[in-house]
Amino acid sequence: MRLTLTPQTRKKLTRFKQIKVGYFSFLALAALSLLLCLAELWVNSRALVVKYEGNLYFPTYGAIIPGSSFGLGYEYETNYRDLQQRLAGSDENWVVLPPVPYNPFENDAQGGILRPTPPDIDRGHYLGTDTTGRDILARLVYGTRTALLFALAFMVSVYVIGIVIGCSMGYFGGAFDLIFQRFIEIWSNVPFLYMVIIVFSIIPIESSIAARVIILLVVMVLFSWTSMTYYMRTETYKEKSRDYVMAARVLGAGTMRIIFKHILPNVLATLVTFMPFTIVSAIAAVTALDFLGFGLPVPTPSLGELLKQGTGNLRTAPWIVISAFTTLVLLLTIVTFIGEAIRESFDPKKYTLYR
Amino acid sequence: MLRNTHAYLLLVFATLLLASCGGSDAPTEESEFAPYDNRAEVAQYYADHPDFFRFKTRSDLPTDLQWQDGSELPEIGSPDAKKGGMETIRLQDFPRTLRILGPDSNGSFRPWLLDYTTMALGHRHPDLMDYFPGLATKWAVDREAKTIYVELDPLATWSDGVPITADDYLFMFWMHRSSYITAPWYTNWYSTQYTNITKYDDHLISISTVSEKPDIDSKALELRPLPRHFYQEVGPDYLERYQWRFPPTTSPYLIEPGDLKKGRSIQMTRNTEWWAKDKKHFRYRFNVDKMNFIVIRDTAKVFEAFKRGDIDQFAMNLAEYWYEKLPNDDADVANGYIHKKLFFNQRPRPPYGLWINTAQPLLDDQNVRLGLQYATNWDLVIETFFRGDSDRLNTANDGYGPFTASHIKARPFDINQAQEAFARAGFTERGPNGILMREDGTRLAFTISSGYESLKDVLTILKEEAAKAGLEYRVEVLDGTSGWKKVQEKKHEIHFAAFGYSLELYPRFWETYHSDNAYDKAFLDNGEINPARQIKTQTNNLETLAIPEMDRLIDAYRASPDADEMIALAHEMSDLHHDYASFVPGFYNGFFRIGHWRWVNYPANFSHKHASNHLQYFLHWIDEDERSATMDARNQGRAFDPVIESFEQHRSR
Repeated sequence: MRLTLTPQTRKKLTRFKQIKVGYFSFLALAALSLLLCLAELWVNSRALVVKYEGNLYFPTYGAIIPGSSFGLGYEYETNYRDLQQRLAGSDENWVVLPPVPYNPFENDAQGGILRPTPPDIDRGHYLGTDTTGRDILARLVYGTRTALLFALAFMVSVYVIGIVIGCSMGYFGGAFDLIFQRFIEIWSNVPFLYMVIIVFSIIPIESSIAARVIILLVVMVLFSWTSMTYYMRTETYKEKSRDYVMAARVLGAGTMRIIFKHILPNVLATLVTFMPFTIVSAIAAVTALDFLGFGLPVPTPSLGELLKQGTGNLRTAPWIVISAFTTLVLLLTIVTFIGEAIRESFDPKKYTLYR
Repeated sequence: MLRNTHAYLLLVFATLLLASCGGSDAPTEESEFAPYDNRAEVAQYYADHPDFFRFKTRSDLPTDLQWQDGSELPEIGSPDAKKGGMETIRLQDFPRTLRILGPDSNGSFRPWLLDYTTMALGHRHPDLMDYFPGLATKWAVDREAKTIYVELDPLATWSDGVPITADDYLFMFWMHRSSYITAPWYTNWYSTQYTNITKYDDHLISISTVSEKPDIDSKALELRPLPRHFYQEVGPDYLERYQWRFPPTTSPYLIEPGDLKKGRSIQMTRNTEWWAKDKKHFRYRFNVDKMNFIVIRDTAKVFEAFKRGDIDQFAMNLAEYWYEKLPNDDADVANGYIHKKLFFNQRPRPPYGLWINTAQPLLDDQNVRLGLQYATNWDLVIETFFRGDSDRLNTANDGYGPFTASHIKARPFDINQAQEAFARAGFTERGPNGILMREDGTRLAFTISSGYESLKDVLTILKEEAAKAGLEYRVEVLDGTSGWKKVQEKKHEIHFAAFGYSLELYPRFWETYHSDNAYDKAFLDNGEINPARQIKTQTNNLETLAIPEMDRLIDAYRASPDADEMIALAHEMSDLHHDYASFVPGFYNGFFRIGHWRWVNYPANFSHKHASNHLQYFLHWIDEDERSATMDARNQGRAFDPVIESFEQHRSR
């Protein structure tokens, strides 16, 4: 596929770049996404590289390497922090640990007691630990990654359904439009959060975490696609009566071709401006569900779960709620800034072709 | 104008709708259900069971009876106690029913409706274990006839003023044996454990039990009558009809009309006309005038409410609260506004541990269960989560003195032994994430469910440790009511829970280990496993344990009159249970500890030897004057002497 930008698009992009807040937010989010994708490399209890008896090991990805491989005499996963201390002083054998040498699940009982500990740079707990001694930074990183991935998947699914149904309603009109409108009116009045809670509480626990996340996604999408259809429907209605659509039809283009080749690119502007806000609401929703205990199963790291712990320990461990809250606010602010900038730069009052 | 009318109509409609929603608990109960009267049915039942329900006269009474009345037992509570005040108590879930029998009735509110508050014929003294009189004035035991004669207190009345007579005890048997109540445990207990109740006159009864046990007196004395005049309408629709009715009661606390706000709060008010208010063993107890129960789900929020003074007392058995959230140097503690009390007790220990449902695939394999025993690191939980304050439970029946099989030690966390056991069950290879697998790809993974939200961290520790032995625990934390429902329906794989055991001389085995409570007809007559057997729900056999040998021992135990023989049998059963490995013993607390505001007062010894918690015997009293004085002092920054006390007179370790 050729990537040619129309003059309008190029103008919009230039305008977007000129809005500094939005542009830098976009760069920051891009950098954050990249970091989160590679989270295993910098927040992990597994070492980056281990040199042992002349062999190099890269434990980060793939199957676990049992402790017996490094002469530790146990069959479960190697404790690399422990290994590093054992190998300290040896030139032959060495371990390189990630900057944050903890995974989001392990309980680090300091002094033999599980309790929240304040940030401790020497020990590698840069944001402290939560109530069961798990590293907060690790849980934040993996929790945010899950939330972002979830939000992206949510957005894509909602848009695919929203666009197909919305455009069809607008394009075909008539009885099809009428019936779907009524259906959507009824459907969109089903309280979304309650439905998620009800449906999610009857999912069998045997299902794996991935399956549970997917079910949660499906349920959320099922009750959220409706709002998009309205915008797409009106936009399509508007575009349908334009001359260029008539021309395309006269030239013999089929329905599909007209919708996807001609109408869709012209209504894309509306779509794009909504995207960041959909993401914001998806992150907020999944965090709220976790906070209420209906989201991801224990002990999956998540922002909502951290917030819940934080509010439960406001006085004794303020660092929990501060970390979680700051992350959530920053994340949502960045995405909202991007959204605002996109909305402004795509404003049809300035750059529409047809007036 | 038209538009205005329209809006007005809408508003009226909306109000109607709201009214009909909000008032749904108001409609008169009589109109909802068709009239029903079971008096004829009950009389017929008595007539149909002439051996069980007998009617005699006082002249038929044996003359050589040795009467006792327990009146010499020391008083309970403190003579300093003052009546009055209101205490706010937290409920984790709103009760699903006010019934004390039938589905959902065994919830966390039941102690307030029944166990802690209502009167039995006699009660065990919380220091001495002997019985002091409740609804009875005196009793006599005829061991040979397995019969207890009880003289009822003629002054005893229900809270509505109706006298309590022998008929209420006859009716109690009818109701518990009736199928209407859908409570198989009670129906079984009242059908199989008793052989007769005889009414001599309105205030003299005798009760005969099926076997002569060392504590035969408890079988009769712990019975609590049911108000026959209130349960006249018990019939096929008992569950719905009585769902939210508060019965006339022997309890000092009543729920008055309008004091039950569904889903939100319940108020119980002290009955100032309570007939037993001046009785020796009751007069210094039940001091608070009003108990206000509010629903707060989240324990952390309860603590915040307590710190604000909205809740008067807070149980701090969890180390997190005792050491971290309310340390001795906390301002409220150091300034003496909140007192901290630690009390060591001795009593049957609630068996906190993992109840393995042996009816589930893989868990029916003895080797898998053995592996679970070694792969579950309770010692680490006790050390890191409970900070060494708790102790490891060794059997499911610890704390019963000689009846506890103290030679049994719970299996320690041992990765090698766990792996050996798992290997015997075919789990030899570790998968890519370190979890053991069979050759056919079956993973060694189980779900631990629990209704203890405040102990969820315990489960994550167990999960992390189990992974070292190649075992995956999936953790499912439910709210209390759903957790209990799940095990009662036997849908769990492994459940983390404990029963609150009442104060008894010896443990019960039938409820938890007899095959009758695991399946409908677990074995065929020739002793083979019944291929068509169905799991029995709503019983306490959470392990779905069905072993013919265990059944035999339980039957012998239930029939034995001799304490020594029972002890031997109890040890044998505990050994069998230990070998079967279907319960991973967890931990117990040899104490309870609380924080309470200054205006809450306790007797000088704080509590009694066999108490299980601070509320059970209602020993405390609330001083409303002190409440305002304390809050004023707190606002003005005036301090009192801090009070942090430890009561070790009953410490066993």
